[in-house]
Amino acid sequence: MASDPDFEREALQHIDSLFNLAIYLTRNREQANDLIQETYLRAFRFAHRFERGTNLRAWLFQILRNTFLTFYRLRVREPAVAEDGVPDWDTPVFHDAPEPTGEQVETHTDLERALARLPAEFRLILLLAEVEGLPLEEVARIMDCPVGTVKSRIFRGKERLRGLLKDYRQ
Amino acid sequence: MSDTEFEFDLAKDLPRYQAPPELRAAIRRAMSPEPRPRAWWWVGALSASATAMVLTLFWASLGTLTQWRAVPTDPLHRLSRAVVSEHARNLIWGDLQGREFRPHIVPAALPWLRLETGVGHRQAFIGDGQLGFVGGDPVYLDGRRGVALHYKDYDGHSVSYLAVPAPGLTIPEDLRVPVGRYRPALVRNDGFSVWVWKEGDLACFLVADLVSESDLERFKAYFLRIREATQPFIG
Repeated sequence: MASDPDFEREALQHIDSLFNLAIYLTRNREQANDLIQETYLRAFRFAHRFERGTNLRAWLFQILRNTFLTFYRLRVREPAVAEDGVPDWDTPVFHDAPEPTGEQVETHTDLERALARLPAEFRLILLLAEVEGLPLEEVARIMDCPVGTVKSRIFRGKERLRGLLKDYRQ
Repeated sequence: MSDTEFEFDLAKDLPRYQAPPELRAAIRRAMSPEPRPRAWWWVGALSASATAMVLTLFWASLGTLTQWRAVPTDPLHRLSRAVVSEHARNLIWGDLQGREFRPHIVPAALPWLRLETGVGHRQAFIGDGQLGFVGGDPVYLDGRRGVALHYKDYDGHSVSYLAVPAPGLTIPEDLRVPVGRYRPALVRNDGFSVWVWKEGDLACFLVADLVSESDLERFKAYFLRIREATQPFIG
């Protein structure tokens, strides 16, 4: 079965956005590289499912998110999340995964450090909406949740970031 | 400190990370089924190539080229290598090791895999006392969509069967090994053994980390079981 060079070329135009997101999710270059490769493999494998005329970048983000959840969430225990989906910030976070291999990406600013402390689902929503500038409806589709949840998570995530920044600067 | 001091703009304040060129190149390579055509300027570089060849032969004679990693140009070795990479990736990333034997999912899995890949199976090996079926996946190998069925033997070895369309692929006589009434090719790559055979326009592979002489007998038996009971087709 022949591949689609146009689709592949178009998909590869978004590699920087995907890589940026992968770095903020994994904080590890080697894992980000693996995540991106796996994302593209899946995208090309399921290219026939992509609806022409819809947002390819958002579709790729969705694959990246699903790949991340499949391969990484199983390895690293996230902070506890309460029943309403809002993280229980006061719950201590324990990681039982082995130390990751590969080059860790340094956090250069307090903002990066604070962002790294958010649970992945909150980090993802903030990055997709605020950094990548995707409409909330697209973010909701990627995250497989209602728009209202996206809005509330953006609000709670920012609130938490402000709190962490305050802690860092005191 | 005022609260406004803790305001931020994620789009402006966060550094952006760019994908390294080698990552782009790796993805492009993985997606390009055919090797790039040679450019004419190579003709002018023949003398340099000759020098490089002499040096290569020199180092080879010293036994230092045991890990030669050039991308194979012939389709059989390129596909075999892609099969080994897919199998290794599954061993590392997939959950083959933890899966239970699940022969009951085969009837539902085969139509779904056909829908996803265009490779169907009139029948497929669902396992026996020696080799158990653990799952199936769509695969994308060397620019072709295909099917992978995964098995595990009683020693915990993962064995994967893959079928991808490869109409023009021919199997060289010198690689063929008689196994029962069949003559598949045996290719070894990166610590894995791969049986390769054709079924119409499909290339079929059976890959496992069974490489020693004693393992080879077992691998032949696995080939026979799967070859006899598995009938793939394009459509």
